[in-house]
Amino acid sequence: MSMLSEGQALEPFVVESVDPGRMKTMAVLLRDPNPIHWDIAVLGRLGLGDRPINQGPINVGYLMELAGRAAGGAANVQRFDCRFLGNVLAGDRVTCSGTVTALDAEAGTAELELSAEVDGRAVLSATATITTMNTTKGASTT
Amino acid sequence: MTDYTHLAGHRFPGGRYTLPAYESWLWTDAVAGTPDPLAAHPEIAYMIGLHGGGASIADIMALLGADEDSGVMFGELQFAFDGVLRPGAAYDVAGEVVSVERKEGRRAGVFDRATFVHRIAEAGACAPVATVTHVWIFPRKDEA
Repeated sequence: MSMLSEGQALEPFVVESVDPGRMKTMAVLLRDPNPIHWDIAVLGRLGLGDRPINQGPINVGYLMELAGRAAGGAANVQRFDCRFLGNVLAGDRVTCSGTVTALDAEAGTAELELSAEVDGRAVLSATATITTMNTTKGASTT
Repeated sequence: MTDYTHLAGHRFPGGRYTLPAYESWLWTDAVAGTPDPLAAHPEIAYMIGLHGGGASIADIMALLGADEDSGVMFGELQFAFDGVLRPGAAYDVAGEVVSVERKEGRRAGVFDRATFVHRIAEAGACAPVATVTHVWIFPRKDEA
């Protein structure tokens, strides 16, 4: 884990192509009965095109992965609040970005602002608190 | 007009869920993470909450008069962690409906904004290791 500083932009985390197979895995894990995540015939009938729609928790997982990388591991994420802004479809390229907004050296925590985009369209925004004993207040940004 | 606001405070059955290691692995893989045999992906708290809480996605939709054709969407998802979730560990879950609010938006039309919470503790412990708060949007096209 590199040292964090206020204002620092995190190295983006990019999912090059959302995998519809993983939506099927998630549907089983969550016992999610909604066919828009796996059944193209249903999507067509509903006028939703021919690309399955990613489950919200998968999209959240992408952003949490970014927070976890900044924290030196997902287990160091203390708090994570996110809002859903749009759909992500199979095959989409998702770019997750983030910034360190505040550091608390005494508590050993950092606050992050995070967002996920598809083709410049915001699909998710979040804030997170991560544990990191490796911070420098006011250090230069990268 | 069907009103669901009375569901605020409704408690799910609750219960215990043991997280299988293979589910932990598959979840982490599904969200593009790197599986760790010693620590589950923290977001899997959402799944533990649903399974341990005793109310499935279908159950929750039915409670609010919806099904898989109703266009139910996620609004928000919040996590607070006080520890690490571990593959193979057992968790006690308590969950409830926090609130149901009827809203109307220009584009969305009439909808209900329902907030749920699941508190997850290590089996036999009182203090939560994770708290998951989730907001679902239930379109009410027939209520416009």
